[in-house]
Amino acid sequence: MQRPDWAPDTIDIERPSVARMYDYYLGGSHNFAADRAAAQAMVAAVPEAPLMAQANRAFLRRAVHHLTEAGVRQFLDIGSGIPTVGNVHEIAQRLDPQSRVVYVDVDPVAVAHSREILAGNERAVVVQEDLRRPEAILAHPDVRKLLDLSQPVAVMVVAVLHFVSDDDRPAELLRVLRDALAPGSYLVLSQASDDGRSEDERAEAERVYRRTDNPLWVRSRAELTALFDGFEVLDPGVVWVPQWRPDTPESAEDAERAVFLGGVGRLGG
Amino acid sequence: MAELPGASAPPGTFARAWAKAVSGTSYLPMTHAQLEALLDRLTGELAGALLTEPFDLRAGHRVGAELVAAHIASAEGLGRTVEVIQLRLVRDLGLVAEDVEDRMARLLAAVATGYARALRDRTLDEQEAIRRAAMTARTQAERALRASEARFRHQATHDPLTGLPNRTLFTERLTAALNEPGRGAQRVGVCFLDLDRFKVVNDTLGHQVGDQLLVTVAERLCQAMNEHLVARLGGDEFVILVERTGGTDDMVAVAETALAAVRTPALVDGHELQISASIGIVERQVAGANPSDLMRAADSTLHWAKSAGGARWALYDAERNQRELARYALSAAIPAALERGEFYLDYQPLTSLRDGSLVGVEALVRWRHPELGVLRPDSFIGLAEETGLIVQLGGWVLAEACREAEAWSAGGVAAPFVSVNLAVRQVHRPGLVQEVRALLRQTGLPPERLQLEITESTMMSTAEEPVRALRVLADLGVRIAIDDFGTGYSNLAYLRDLPVTELKVAGEFVAGLRSPSVGRTDERILASLVSLAHALDLTVTAEGVETAGQAERLRAIGCDAAQGWHFGRPAPADRILARIR
Repeated sequence: MQRPDWAPDTIDIERPSVARMYDYYLGGSHNFAADRAAAQAMVAAVPEAPLMAQANRAFLRRAVHHLTEAGVRQFLDIGSGIPTVGNVHEIAQRLDPQSRVVYVDVDPVAVAHSREILAGNERAVVVQEDLRRPEAILAHPDVRKLLDLSQPVAVMVVAVLHFVSDDDRPAELLRVLRDALAPGSYLVLSQASDDGRSEDERAEAERVYRRTDNPLWVRSRAELTALFDGFEVLDPGVVWVPQWRPDTPESAEDAERAVFLGGVGRLGG
Repeated sequence: MAELPGASAPPGTFARAWAKAVSGTSYLPMTHAQLEALLDRLTGELAGALLTEPFDLRAGHRVGAELVAAHIASAEGLGRTVEVIQLRLVRDLGLVAEDVEDRMARLLAAVATGYARALRDRTLDEQEAIRRAAMTARTQAERALRASEARFRHQATHDPLTGLPNRTLFTERLTAALNEPGRGAQRVGVCFLDLDRFKVVNDTLGHQVGDQLLVTVAERLCQAMNEHLVARLGGDEFVILVERTGGTDDMVAVAETALAAVRTPALVDGHELQISASIGIVERQVAGANPSDLMRAADSTLHWAKSAGGARWALYDAERNQRELARYALSAAIPAALERGEFYLDYQPLTSLRDGSLVGVEALVRWRHPELGVLRPDSFIGLAEETGLIVQLGGWVLAEACREAEAWSAGGVAAPFVSVNLAVRQVHRPGLVQEVRALLRQTGLPPERLQLEITESTMMSTAEEPVRALRVLADLGVRIAIDDFGTGYSNLAYLRDLPVTELKVAGEFVAGLRSPSVGRTDERILASLVSLAHALDLTVTAEGVETAGQAERLRAIGCDAAQGWHFGRPAPADRILARIR
């Protein structure tokens, strides 16, 4: 068995995991005491945290829905986390059972859990890899097996880019992914932003996430927009996630409380 | 009875209010319209339960469970549901029933119960699932760690070029074989194998070809040995461990198989390479054996096979090893012995065959060893030459000979020259000329009273420096003699270039003069050598002359001088000199 050199030697459930904290925000019970303690600290700092997670999850659902309707049948969900409810394959395969989904996460527990959920699903698989190693993701045999990169793929980088620092050159990572995609492919991005937030709130949130393996790296709307380089950003652009093609006008109210900015870009050709 | 909302009809007022109340309480993986449709259906169930006789608690349980299943699964979700049903259900649907308040209370209790049960089950399931995932991940991480440790161990115990076990693993296995309980009476063996002239392959065809050849040899040895461990110790050294042998014959068979495997020509990078190997075999009882002794023994034995010409095996011989060890110990003691003044010189006369006068003496070194008594040069010079200590020792001999010889002229009589052997290493040393010059100056010995004896093999090297040095010394007036002439290299070309004064003819030709039948040939060879030497203006001294008959025949041939027991055994200087005073 190949063991990536970046993978941890042991699984320490005493250390909060951002994937399981996110599950907690979503109301799930796929989490341990340390995760809940960290998530509660986050909620104390930023009371909207559960709302953020829900809004982001709803954004993911609407994006997948739209892309499926636009004809996309292949999804590469990087930073997929704990599969709780409303996973990409559930949404996409409900609309077309032929849809193929590859989940990628760096968290070994999230991966093990995903593997159990996906057992028996021939068109969905999970791969343990790191967004910071896009070449390794693209070269992974399971990715190669399930996805046909000569056909459009929707790459989902949803609620994970804020765990990638500028030192890891996110634009470069996305460029590597983009260069591997066929015309007609899509990039779905969302991440936490500090636009309109107080310095205190941001500092407190960053402090919470320093307890995890994934410190927080918030970005502005301009920075996130720049990351769509090479993609044509679909309407309504890079917006607070509730504002992205809402089901009902009311669900887009108080959108900035969602903290997450998101958008969908299409690769022309 | 009020009309129940149909599945296809738009959601009623109550369902819309309910949807609004629960949205945002947890993440709902559905659109708002889907949520309203779901709640509209559940509204129907609740209304039915309120009106149906007899009152059925199970409807309430079902609705609670369905809410959880639809992920409306949070404490707030339940609270708001209870609130909205209590406040609006009867009113919005215009429900009329006798004991509606009573029924409502029981219905809400049933919904809350069903909800709480379902949520509890779901929580426990999720907790179980995440713990299972953590355990799986931990198992995998540990397995991966073990695999990487195993890989690391493999890397640490194998040679990357050939993939064979390396010295570390070999030593482990040998140690284990020797320490295995209850094996004391059994026997173990190793073949230490080294390719012959492998360096030539590397030097002429390059390291890549050399490396490929090593890989080929490794494969062949593995194939030939199948059950025995074959390891590469480094370079072109391989070792075969035979953990159980029935005796030396088994090991010889293994060695011959290995030699045959190596002997087959190897095609490497378009070159057909014919290669051979030498093997040192050690085979002994497990009891009392230890890995380092065993490998040391195998190493010495390999050198025996090498020095016997290679392409063969040699079997360890404890006595031979003992002798070599003693010899080694002796050579190692030379520097200290020099310091303590344990060496001294004897001299053997070189006598003129024309008039019986003493023309010179050959200095012969002696070691007055504190434990072993007086040692002759043949017991320590050979190894001193191998180890390089000869330079130090030879330097002392030269200096001591010059110092003593200077004093011999004090009597006023024509003093003999002193002849000193120079080892190959001494001649090849850059400082030889300065060393001799300094000695002559310090001692005051006239250069013509010093003779340096070199062997033919000294001249085998094509280096020009030694020839130049000898020429400078000859120009100073120092005599140069070729020792053991006729037995070595015998390329006469150097006689053209070298400033030689004298040839010393090896004793074996002289020995032949004793028996008339064999002696004929030797006599003719000697006669030819003498006439050759005289033609080149060189003098000839015969060595090893033991009888008057030999002396007479040598004189008849025209040999100039002679040395040997007949003319005097080696003795301290004063005793030799007493003859001429």
